[in-house]
Amino acid sequence: MDRFDKFNIIVIALISLITIGMLANQEIIKRRLGLDEAQAAERALYYAEQMALNAKIYQDVISLKEQELYDEAMTKLQEVMKTYPGKAQSYVYLAQLSFNTGKLSDTIHNYRLAVENDPDYMDKKTPMFIGHEVKELVKESLPKFGREKKLKPNDKEVRNTLEDLYYLQRVLAGGCE
Amino acid sequence: MKALRLIDATIITGALLGFGGVFLVYMGNPTNSGFCISCFLENLAGSLQLHDNIRMSYIRPELIGFVLGAFFMALQSRRFKVTGGSSPIIRFLLGFFILVGCAVFIGCPIKMILRLAAGDLTAIAATAGLIFGVWLGAKYIRAGFSLDRVKELPQINGYIIPAFAVLALLFLLLKPSFIITGETGPAAMRAPIYLSLLVGLGIGVFAQKSGLCITGGIRNFCLVRERTLLNGVITVFVSALILSLIMGQFNLGMNAQPSSHLSHGWTFLAMVLVGLASTLIDGCPFRQLIKAGQGDVDAGITILGMTVGAALVISWAIRSSSAGPTFEGKITVLLGLVFSLILVTMYRKKKPA
Repeated sequence: MDRFDKFNIIVIALISLITIGMLANQEIIKRRLGLDEAQAAERALYYAEQMALNAKIYQDVISLKEQELYDEAMTKLQEVMKTYPGKAQSYVYLAQLSFNTGKLSDTIHNYRLAVENDPDYMDKKTPMFIGHEVKELVKESLPKFGREKKLKPNDKEVRNTLEDLYYLQRVLAGGCE
Repeated sequence: MKALRLIDATIITGALLGFGGVFLVYMGNPTNSGFCISCFLENLAGSLQLHDNIRMSYIRPELIGFVLGAFFMALQSRRFKVTGGSSPIIRFLLGFFILVGCAVFIGCPIKMILRLAAGDLTAIAATAGLIFGVWLGAKYIRAGFSLDRVKELPQINGYIIPAFAVLALLFLLLKPSFIITGETGPAAMRAPIYLSLLVGLGIGVFAQKSGLCITGGIRNFCLVRERTLLNGVITVFVSALILSLIMGQFNLGMNAQPSSHLSHGWTFLAMVLVGLASTLIDGCPFRQLIKAGQGDVDAGITILGMTVGAALVISWAIRSSSAGPTFEGKITVLLGLVFSLILVTMYRKKKPA
């Protein structure tokens, strides 16, 4: 080992020690400031803001829906969808209103659109979770549309609804998407 | 006696993969994804902010365990040989396309077996595709295909990927601010860190010793009817099936299967790509991790290609969801097949007439 090697080894050891020291220091600061808890709080705040915003945007729709004025609620919802075209929550209300007016295929399709647009609706770890109502719907609708497919094998709407149901079933099953 | 020991190690590795895969799902990993190299690399890429899907961002300890387990075993058994320099850019691209194939199927070859063992019948098309792809690759090898010759390289090259694994472990434990860990979606589905790491290490150790490789097992059988590795592959299936049945994770059918879709034709083609490309670079994604741990720099390059692929399949939507493959996913699978076929054409050493 010549002088050059010895010098290199000393410098490597020194830089490594400084790096470890800096990392340890950062970890201490992080724990002191409680950054993990801060991140969790930030996440909770994000969802709370989303829910509050939804409550505000869909205030009239919810109110009309609660009064069972479904056609009026649907008209109001269409207006909201024009103002806020990207909001996945609209599909949830579309699905619920379609269900209340007996349009089962539309209900299923709109739940699919909601889930496709925002996977949080199927995530138990978020307050947006609507998995229970979707699961119930899938459970009740599958035998019905299965029977309908046997009676009307070439009916495109029945086929599409079954595809939507199978999609929701796969998403409900979980996995790593 | 030596052959018997090798068979034992292969079967032990297979059993660890099968039992471990189902057990880790029970302990919190995503359903049917106890192990999935491609999904886990997508998670890793997200955690390093190479894509911005937070739901898919987590440094999976299993990956670290595979590499470090193989590294320690190779050092201990003096099989740590630093080699490389064989067509690096081609291996990088094939690594990328392998990841795309996996993303279109939604799973690597190990996950394919785990899905099949959990009763997911949509994985049948994938199995057929993988076998066909490997068979095709074996045909090309027999017809004279081989990448450039491997050279011995200075020792430091072999330590880079294991060092990355150690760094990833530090990131996982210390959670510096630039490392993202999703708290919703698949990223939030995770077995305890130390358990995942321990299982990964154990599998890494035995996989290094046995050389178990999903595509390698099929390839050896196609080329020379050699069954040692294939027995390991079958063991993965049987052990996962047994534990799935015991733990109530078995659900036979096409529908209601997690991380699946019904586009069987694209599943088949995607896994043809995975089988063919893996055969050309001598190992499935899992085997590439193990080889990188034992000093194979070419496998390290392939892993880098797969990691870039893992980031891009999410950012560019070159993949499938429960709704089926995206247009971009389909096109990239086709491009991957074209690239692989151009490669075998260019690299085939024809016998003189």
